[in-house]
Amino acid sequence: MDSLEIRLKVNGEPRSWRVAPGDVLLDVLRRENYFGVKRGCETGECGACTVLLDGKAVNSCLVFAAQAHGCDIVTIEGLAQGDRLHPIQEAFLDAGAVQCGFCTPGMVLNTKAFLEQCPQPTEAEARQALAGNYCRCTGYKKPVEAVMAAAANFGLGISDCGLQSRKKSEIRNPKSEIKRGRR
Amino acid sequence: MMPWLEAFHRPTTIAEALRLMKRGGRRARFVAGATDLLVEADPAARILVDVGRLGLAYIKPHRGGWRIGAATTMAMLEQSEGMRAFAGGILARAAAASGSIQIRNRATAGGNLANASPAADLAPPLLVLDAQVVIAGQKGKRRLPLADFFKGVCQTALKGDLLMEIILPPLNRAAGRRGGERSAWSFQKLGRVESDIAIVNAAAGVGVDAGGRCRWARIAVGAVAPTPLRIAAAESALQGRPLDSESIALACETVCREARPITDLRASVDYRRQMSGVLVRRALEECLAGIEPPRH
Ligand SMILES: Cc1cc2nc3c(=O)[nH]c(=O)nc-3n(C[C@H](O)[C@H](O)[C@H](O)COP(=O)(O)OP(=O)(O)OC[C@H]3O[C@@H](n4cnc5c(N)ncnc54)[C@H](O)[C@@H]3O)c2cc1C
Ligand code: FES
Ligand code: FES
Repeated sequence: MDSLEIRLKVNGEPRSWRVAPGDVLLDVLRRENYFGVKRGCETGECGACTVLLDGKAVNSCLVFAAQAHGCDIVTIEGLAQGDRLHPIQEAFLDAGAVQCGFCTPGMVLNTKAFLEQCPQPTEAEARQALAGNYCRCTGYKKPVEAVMAAAANFGLGISDCGLQSRKKSEIRNPKSEIKRGRR
Repeated sequence: MMPWLEAFHRPTTIAEALRLMKRGGRRARFVAGATDLLVEADPAARILVDVGRLGLAYIKPHRGGWRIGAATTMAMLEQSEGMRAFAGGILARAAAASGSIQIRNRATAGGNLANASPAADLAPPLLVLDAQVVIAGQKGKRRLPLADFFKGVCQTALKGDLLMEIILPPLNRAAGRRGGERSAWSFQKLGRVESDIAIVNAAAGVGVDAGGRCRWARIAVGAVAPTPLRIAAAESALQGRPLDSESIALACETVCREARPITDLRASVDYRRQMSGVLVRRALEECLAGIEPPRH
């Protein structure tokens, strides 16, 4: 078996890994400790393994690691800046869209790619955008509310750099405090 | 994960890709978005040749029609202005219905056809658009109508060769458009939810003359036979008649009669057969509504 070297960026950091020809990106990322990439169905149905590949939401269980060579990958670990959560993460917490949290990394990353392309979505568009992210806890009402709130509150979500996200310590919403305490 | 794979090649020229396939023989497969290949995970596949670096992801105008590279993704098709405008946007609509955005960002047009699922969503619209495919093999390039490309369930005319591009001929020439003619197109899909694999899918295009008489009709359905099909008998049932509820009902009966569906976990034979008629009716009704009344 010819193992291959892949060079890529993960959350902005250059990485160079040896992978097997049959490895999928999901397994390689988890092997490298990106545990925010969740293993669900492994057949492209559930979206738990969603990452951004060159800015686009993809199921990492259906991408060969070899195909990610030269690409820019963003996992959920790459969204917060130090102790500042990304505005979309805030929106999910504030909306109460997070219960067990298994689906959340995929939903948040998919939302990020979606809002960059469609900054002012209708609720129907938001619902459609999340069609490939299954949640077995809350259902979809609150995640859709979170997407709409993120779009409304955070300056269209076009570029992260312009957005003022709050520090964790500044957050007053008691619901999200509780969630955060549990993590 | 396919731990049995022995090699994953990422060629940058078509010649190299074909050489790698030849060397790999029966153990080699092309791979594009991998959304079918990784789900199928065929243990006989030992060597993969990626088509992602061959410059085949494009949508280009071509002599009044279009050339679509095999590695063009569903997301590219649905977002393309050209595809949204061409023939009522039926190809863009079919692409937009092909799975979640995570799937559509990877799934390619070439993979959809090469995989040759009877339910492939791009097949009915491409069939009614009279699409042709360009194939590159050891002996050079060849071009054939899409209708001759599908040979059976998961069987195509490729035989290990590379699907390079899909050609959409200009509408007016293909349709033989004459003065006063108006045309309309539709894509319909029935799934458990729209982004799910189709239980039945269908596409139609019609052209009517100034008097509302049908000059030509094209009807294709998927998931009701081993391959996606044009239903010529239903097309001729419309030709020369006024396009109205009566002629549409006649065409739909013909579709139900011609359908040769199977029962699987998604639907039974009877349901599929009935729904093939319903989807074609919806498609033709949408066409009828899309043809504006003649201007005086
Ligand atoms: C969750 C999920 C939902 C889906 N929903 C839909 C849906 O709604 N509608 C639908 O139509 N499909 C759907 N699909 C199926 C799949 O996404 C599509 O068929 C897709 O277009 C396949 O393209 P690909 O690039 O991923 O192909 P791959 O998986 O890379 O390849 C598929 C086959 O085609 C061959 N191949 C690929 N490219 C070439 C080429 N250029 N030349 C020669 N051979 C080639 C490969 O060898 C392989 O045999 C779904 C799949 C999943 C996992
Ligand atoms: S684990 Fe990848 S989509 Fe479910
Ligand atoms: S929060 Fe538990 S799966 Fe969505």
